[in-house]
Amino acid sequence: MPLMETYRQTKADWKRFLEALMKGRELIAPVKRDLVRFERVKDIEDIHLKSMSYFPAKHWFFPEEQTLFRFSKKGFEMPKQKEPRRVFFGLRKCDLNAIKHQDMVFIKQAKDPYYKALRKKSLLLGYHCRTAPSPFCFCESLGLPDFFDLLYYERKDHFVVEVGSAKGKALVKKYGRWFHAEKGLTPEQRRIKNADTLEETDIGRFYDHPGWKEGVNLCLSCGACTALCPTCYCHSIHDEVTVADPGSGERKRQWSSCQLQGFTKVAGGHVFRKDRESRFKHRIYHQLEWFREKNKVPLCTGCGRCIQGCPTRIDWVSMINRMKDDEHRT
Amino acid sequence: MSRAKNPGKPRQPKKLRVGIYGITGCAGCQLSIIFNEDDILDLLDLVDLQAFPFIKEVNADQHFDWVIVEGLVASEQDLATVKKLRRNAKYLVSLGACAATGCVPAYRQFTLKENYEHLLYRKQKRLKDVEPTPIDAHVKVDYYIPGCPPDKKEILGFFTAIARGIEPRGTDNPVCVECRKNGNACLLDQGKPCLGPITAGGCHAVCINGGLECWGCRGPTKDMNLNLMIDILRKKGFDDRFIRDRMRTFAGLKLPTLNRIFHGKG
Repeated sequence: MPLMETYRQTKADWKRFLEALMKGRELIAPVKRDLVRFERVKDIEDIHLKSMSYFPAKHWFFPEEQTLFRFSKKGFEMPKQKEPRRVFFGLRKCDLNAIKHQDMVFIKQAKDPYYKALRKKSLLLGYHCRTAPSPFCFCESLGLPDFFDLLYYERKDHFVVEVGSAKGKALVKKYGRWFHAEKGLTPEQRRIKNADTLEETDIGRFYDHPGWKEGVNLCLSCGACTALCPTCYCHSIHDEVTVADPGSGERKRQWSSCQLQGFTKVAGGHVFRKDRESRFKHRIYHQLEWFREKNKVPLCTGCGRCIQGCPTRIDWVSMINRMKDDEHRT
Repeated sequence: MSRAKNPGKPRQPKKLRVGIYGITGCAGCQLSIIFNEDDILDLLDLVDLQAFPFIKEVNADQHFDWVIVEGLVASEQDLATVKKLRRNAKYLVSLGACAATGCVPAYRQFTLKENYEHLLYRKQKRLKDVEPTPIDAHVKVDYYIPGCPPDKKEILGFFTAIARGIEPRGTDNPVCVECRKNGNACLLDQGKPCLGPITAGGCHAVCINGGLECWGCRGPTKDMNLNLMIDILRKKGFDDRFIRDRMRTFAGLKLPTLNRIFHGKG
């Protein structure tokens, strides 16, 4: 692997750099209120980097609800949306790879114009986790590759910045006065030491393992895990018509969740994943197995938000680890 | 098969004959229909409103395609009304929490008669009370628009759907689904007795958006994990009496297993 272009940036220059990018762009970064969320930032001092965001940045590319087109008896038209240019700061390795995985789904496979419009005008500036930012994360178990325009490593009084794309390279060139030469980082320096480890990602053989019951019994099927997941992309589509003319209206899509019975309801009213266990396992198998069968990589990026945000903290990572341990014992 | 041709004259589909009635209730659900101020005139254009005694003087009481009923059955007169409406309508819709679950007025089923009888029924001899019950305890209900009060946009969605001849788009997803989409912090995590995980959504988590935990006004989801919900609340330090009473507030009659879980009435 060729060495990354690496630079040094003082914290004062970092602020100047972001302020310069904010001219003509929205800055989206983690902000701490009751919880940490990716929000539009006006003042750089508001950016919170101490802990991982509770909510991912997913909705900035794949909104909770969005209009696909308006229709009437005359025909249909796409919404004429002009997406703002955005710069994201503070995305972590899991968040960045989650965007990469959603790119595979929405851009590469579905050629989705709505996602693409939001995505192509975005700069992704990552933030390296020196220590585990959450007690539930396990990204190292998934062997995530680099994916960013720029990646920031925080040091006491400065940042070390790596360049990960042509877009990032162009930024460094344009704002060269705030970037100074620095030697490349060692693999050890680039590592993320997680709090948790997932010992097996190839879980096909565990499908009928009784160990899943523990999680199923603690599952409310509330869909918190899929809403908080930075990679879950399943959605439903419906029409909202006007009262004045029920033949016209808007076709909308909104987030859905495989944890809900209604998710697999088909014409005639049949629900083909009615029992909680098959729904519970579906999420984890889609994340680790079935997405990989199609795309060579697991969908999951190991952020652990689905465990952190679960009302009963269902720790499916430990469950899989125990299934693996059992195997060695017998 | 040949179809009768009628050139130059597009066939106007006949408007659906609709009646909106209230039995025992606060009339808030009927108000929710009217709260659609910007759309109410279009709504009157969309269907043939044959009856709506709450706002109309002349009202039909038969030959309905759809009849919408607010309120619960709490008196003999209610029972007669709801049976008559059922006979005279192709489809019957339950509007609001009282009609769907019995809601707060049905709470008196969970206490002894001598605790409340003297407050009203001995003074008002004219009132012939029956066990307070949701409409579906007496007649077949074809569709439910739940909530205390129901979401006004959901009511509009119901009307446009029946006018188009399609099934209205309700939801049986728990409140949590909308709550997380709204980016709220989980109130259960903050130690509040939120019933969102077992309660049907469609309300856009309006209470939680405002900082109040869900009390379950839209009734339980078909898929609820009731025992786990009770376990969670117990672990958060709520006692059985509190949990039982909270769950009974809006949907007690739809949670018959509470009796067994909490060992009987009381």
